[in-house]
Amino acid sequence: MSVLIDRLSSEFLPLFLAGMAINFEIAGIALALGLVLGFLLTLARLYGGVAGTVAASAIALMRAAPTFVVMFFLLNAIPRDATLFGEAFALSGVMTVAISLVPYSASYVADSGVEALRQLRGGSPLGALLFLPNVTRAFFVLVMSSSAGAAIGVVEGITVILRQAEHLPTLGDKLVLFAVGIVFFGIPLQAGFVLMSFLHRYLRRAVTRDPGVAPAADFETPDL
Amino acid sequence: MLAAWRPVFACALVCVLAALSGYLSLSPAAAQQDRSPDAALTRLLEQVRATMPGACTQPRVDRLVRILCAGRIRVGVRDYYPLFATNENQVREGYEVDVARAIAKRLGVEVEFSRVNAATRIPLLAEDRIDLAIATMGHNTQRDGQVRFIRPHYYQSETAVVGPRNLSVNGWADIPERSVCGTVGNGSNAELVAHNARLMLFDEAGLLPGRLMDETCTLAAQDDSFFAYYFIDPAFSARFVQKFGFAQVPWGMAVVQNNTAEFAHALDLISQIFHRDGVFLDIARAHRIGTGFLEKQQAVWQRPDCNTETGATNPACVLPAFDAELKPTPFAGRVGAFEAWVSSWTGVELLLPMLKTAPAWSLFKNGIINTFILIAGALTATLVFALAFGAAQGSRFRLLHWSARAVTITLQSSPIVLTLVIAAALAHAIFPYSSAVAIGAAIIALGLTNGANAGQAISEAIHSLRTEQTALPVGGLQLFVGALGRSATQIVAFLVNATKGTPIASFIGAPELLSALTDISSFSSGRVTTYWLLLIFYTMVVMAVVWLCGRLRLFLERNRVPA
Repeated sequence: MSVLIDRLSSEFLPLFLAGMAINFEIAGIALALGLVLGFLLTLARLYGGVAGTVAASAIALMRAAPTFVVMFFLLNAIPRDATLFGEAFALSGVMTVAISLVPYSASYVADSGVEALRQLRGGSPLGALLFLPNVTRAFFVLVMSSSAGAAIGVVEGITVILRQAEHLPTLGDKLVLFAVGIVFFGIPLQAGFVLMSFLHRYLRRAVTRDPGVAPAADFETPDL
Repeated sequence: MLAAWRPVFACALVCVLAALSGYLSLSPAAAQQDRSPDAALTRLLEQVRATMPGACTQPRVDRLVRILCAGRIRVGVRDYYPLFATNENQVREGYEVDVARAIAKRLGVEVEFSRVNAATRIPLLAEDRIDLAIATMGHNTQRDGQVRFIRPHYYQSETAVVGPRNLSVNGWADIPERSVCGTVGNGSNAELVAHNARLMLFDEAGLLPGRLMDETCTLAAQDDSFFAYYFIDPAFSARFVQKFGFAQVPWGMAVVQNNTAEFAHALDLISQIFHRDGVFLDIARAHRIGTGFLEKQQAVWQRPDCNTETGATNPACVLPAFDAELKPTPFAGRVGAFEAWVSSWTGVELLLPMLKTAPAWSLFKNGIINTFILIAGALTATLVFALAFGAAQGSRFRLLHWSARAVTITLQSSPIVLTLVIAAALAHAIFPYSSAVAIGAAIIALGLTNGANAGQAISEAIHSLRTEQTALPVGGLQLFVGALGRSATQIVAFLVNATKGTPIASFIGAPELLSALTDISSFSSGRVTTYWLLLIFYTMVVMAVVWLCGRLRLFLERNRVPA
């Protein structure tokens, strides 16, 4: 345990917090890209016709694509010397993880977006605003999912924990370290859920004051 | 009459005995002198020089004639392989550079260097742009068909597993489930895979020391000759050490196969002499590279049975080529034909390495089987944990309710990678490492994570039904079944999520398909095709599970209690 305390006090926390910042960065990028792509897919679905069918198929495929597999696909299937519009197109580790999360975030945004626009068309702007807590939820799901980056060497929070664990002699010390990680990830996650619940409750109250409009779906699953 | 001839017979007998004695006493020394590699080399060079200058203009003469006629030998060396061959400011240095100079000196010719790399060294020989390649080339059975290797070998490398000094890794027993960084296409990856290492692959070996320093890699596996340069850096050697080595590969100088019989024989003899006399050893020491192999070789080539003109063909003296060929599958030919057919019809280069070699095929088959076991297990575990968590969280017993709630919050707060690592650590504390244990740990982790969330949805449904109890009298099993119907969408969502999460089990060494194909692509070509197939496979599997779960949801919703 003294080895653990020495390490935690000297070097672990700054590294871990920097790693967690990477988790939030990855989630931010994935959500931003997901919002753009999801918005386009939403419009296509609402437009209907061939575009709507293509969009619905794309969303179904993106929902089914496992993040971890997409990440390894991006890492291995894109040549290192690939170019895009004449510019070098080599993805960094952070971008690889972020883009691997885009299928999830874009399909989630598209689903929530369609629901929000339906609410809006149904005459409930407040019902449409439930889109916001759903996106907040997606952000925290993305933060947790970004730990997949540990598998490709991205120095995010879990990577820092696992590196420290390599140097700890006993299983007990390792479990304490893992518990520290859970607490540090849990605090922002639970705070985010509280914030989201508050937002949700506020909007739901507003929606229920809005007669004839059903509240939007409010429970989504994390993505792996 | 006989008596008269007796002195003659006696004299003749003495003469014969004297001659025989002289022959027996002198012949071994003379024969040893004649059979030494030095004498054989001298004889060979004299014979060739005797044909000059007439032979110099003849076509298809041996390469040795051409070199001696030209008075120069063209040697292909690396431009940047620290300690072995570098070229800075037009100054070439390194072990291989000095070996080339020593050979040229022995042949009595000038040396002319040409730049080669791993991809060009054999083509440049074939195109007659160099006479000899001394370029960190491992002698393996595949290359035996392309070039003629000089025996004895001038160096030997091995794959070194390098890691932090304070990390307890001493051999293969410590490798299962650890991340080991390596390079794509490295032949020794197959052996790492066979020992259940988790590979993290890079395109360039030059990235590995940096990734060790910034702790991206805990362990790195690469040729020891590559790490030799970094170990002379005090900062690097203070932190890292070679843990162990494997896959010893002898390095050979190479010449083309045609019209080089005399040239190769001359080089064989020179190599023998250089080993015996410690020339290779002295050059190696001057460049501070590892000398263990060369010291052993010096002892070998000083042995009487090896120190002969035919020593280079004596299996007791020379090392065999490294056998790098993987056994093909019985249907490898048909797979190759199919690849060619697809390529000719579509222009798309389709490579299916998982079907062409026996080790890859075995990994692939096991990967698919394990993937389906993992998916079935994760779905079952999710369902079981969901029911358990749902019942516990929906219970009126506060202790049970809050205990289950605390575990759910903990599981929600733990990223899935961390949950998997914790499950694997606990499993390995109880059981020795095996693929089955890794799969079991992954099933438990995925089941707990998704089951806890689905259980929360069930408990919320139970509470909502209780709230409505005044209008709808339900309780006990009926209440629970009703709650399952009400939370069917969430249960199904988490079942699908568990399926999507199964590839992440590869992170703790579960040999499912992602893990298997990553391993296969680490020692074979066709990475792009492999990962396309992987993505299609998993997406289709998840879509199939979504369809099946849709049927389950319909079944559960039949039990839905109307609000």
